[in-house]
Amino acid sequence: MPHRILIADDEQAPREQLRDAVALAWPQAELLPPAANGLDAWDAFLEHEPAVCFLDIRMPGLNGIEVAQRIRGRAQVVFVTAHGDHALAAFDAGAVDYLMKPIESARLAQAVARVQQRLAVPAPGPNLAELLARLTSEVIGSAPRPPALQVIQAGVGKEVRLIRLDEVVYFEADARYTRVVHSGGEALIRTPLKELLAQLDAAVFWQIHRSVIVAQRHIAAAVRIDEGNMQITLRGRPEKLAVSRHFQGLFKAQ
Amino acid sequence: MPPQAIDWSQLWYPGPSREFSAAELARAGGDAPSRTLVVVLMINLAYFALALLIVAPAGITAQLTSLLIAVAVAGTAQSRALWRRPTRQALMWHSLGAGAVVWLMVTGWIWRVNDRGLRSWLVSVGCLAALSLVVALWLVTMFRAQQIAAKLRELDERERAAEMARQLLAAQIQPHFLFNTLAALQHWVLTRDERASELLTALTAYLRATLPLFQRQHLPLGDELQVVRHYLHVMQLRLGQRLRFEIDVPEPLWPLPLPPGLVLTLVENAIGHGIEPQLHGGCVRLRAQQTGALLCIEVIDDGPGPGAGASEGLGLGNVRARLRQAYGDAATLALQAAPGGGACATLTIPVA
Repeated sequence: MPHRILIADDEQAPREQLRDAVALAWPQAELLPPAANGLDAWDAFLEHEPAVCFLDIRMPGLNGIEVAQRIRGRAQVVFVTAHGDHALAAFDAGAVDYLMKPIESARLAQAVARVQQRLAVPAPGPNLAELLARLTSEVIGSAPRPPALQVIQAGVGKEVRLIRLDEVVYFEADARYTRVVHSGGEALIRTPLKELLAQLDAAVFWQIHRSVIVAQRHIAAAVRIDEGNMQITLRGRPEKLAVSRHFQGLFKAQ
Repeated sequence: MPPQAIDWSQLWYPGPSREFSAAELARAGGDAPSRTLVVVLMINLAYFALALLIVAPAGITAQLTSLLIAVAVAGTAQSRALWRRPTRQALMWHSLGAGAVVWLMVTGWIWRVNDRGLRSWLVSVGCLAALSLVVALWLVTMFRAQQIAAKLRELDERERAAEMARQLLAAQIQPHFLFNTLAALQHWVLTRDERASELLTALTAYLRATLPLFQRQHLPLGDELQVVRHYLHVMQLRLGQRLRFEIDVPEPLWPLPLPPGLVLTLVENAIGHGIEPQLHGGCVRLRAQQTGALLCIEVIDDGPGPGAGASEGLGLGNVRARLRQAYGDAATLALQAAPGGGACATLTIPVA
């Protein structure tokens, strides 16, 4: 099976350039449709499980480093950036590679070779999480963040209902809407789940599936059904929610 | 200017009051004296010596010649030493040494010369020689000290100017902007996209307008807006529909002068912090109006709004420093949340 590759950059021209260049440098690979921001990139990762991700660092929604943090070593990440800030020195020592825009084909071939080598030998790389944490504070410590969400405004009939975040039990993607299940009932909002994700505190709201985000304090237990399947049960509620393979690592007995 | 205090110590201990450190001498004192000056001086001294020998009585020609040679040799060596290290102390020792040599020579001869007229000739010429030598050494030292001080001042000033220009340029041409633009350009050239030519034209116009921006103290607002338009044109080609912008500056305001690059920095901030972080892009509005003697320029975006600490960022800190330099406390820069979301940067500048 060919390796799947995901490319993410918020500008069209560099994105297409990278896609064409990767297609040339690695003709056997399967290129996924490129993502135009960090949220799409994360969503595409969950849906298609690429083996390699080329991520621009400056992207709206989630930046490249935040996407890499969520991927947590489940794919080989290559960063692409227009300008080597002082943080780039850190990459040289680590598992991930980086490319400078505009892309040079010789340099890209080198990065592809390095990734292919890493894919062939599934050795544990250096401590990626620590490297990423350091980079986050160095590279984008001062970058603007979307304001943290305080309340959810949901239209129900003619009224707009305000739902406080601490009342929310879970969010679930539902066709073009997002279903908000809260202590006082349910509501539909237009904001896509992946956009909500960037505005929620990852320690309070856990993503357990591509289409589900749960408030951590409402989770009662995680139950393993068989080799690949896991479910969670909620406090005082009958629903059982499936935990997809990517997120089962969240629940580990200590 | 306050009257300069008189340094009375120059009477009994003449010489330069400033002493240079070894580092300062290495930086500004490495040059040799001008060759023209040395040659002209030598020729004049030779004339003077010749004239002296012609008018002097025949009996003391040998003594006078040896005295003149001694003065010439000592003077040259001492001047060179003082040229390299022009200090008060060195001047004092060299002057004492010169006086002692001449005194010893003259006293030695007086014992052996019996003629009264020749004696007074020797004493007068000896005094004259010693005095000229000391004055010459003093002139060399003072001139050299002043020259080194002036050169140090000039080097300092040149370095300061270069540093200022470097800082401004670094603040202005942002590598992210340049390399992202080049990446887009490269792709469109490779794919024969017709936007390549438009982007190249816009980038060229922007660079041409930006590079000489900081060689001038003031720029008419209209010229600054032209730079801003080139910048926005480049960004619009790159970002496509994600960027919308409006510029509303009445034509009568165009000739008003302001320090170059300030409005451009505010617009760059609006794009970087207001438009690019938004998933679906946004709009930048640039407005200017004159109220009385104040010119007020607003740059408004509809992004996430100014976060904590945004007001002290590098770009804005730079703008504030340049406003202070140009207007003191009379000009201000404020960054606030815009009504309806986003950030609003307001620049207020006095116009004469």
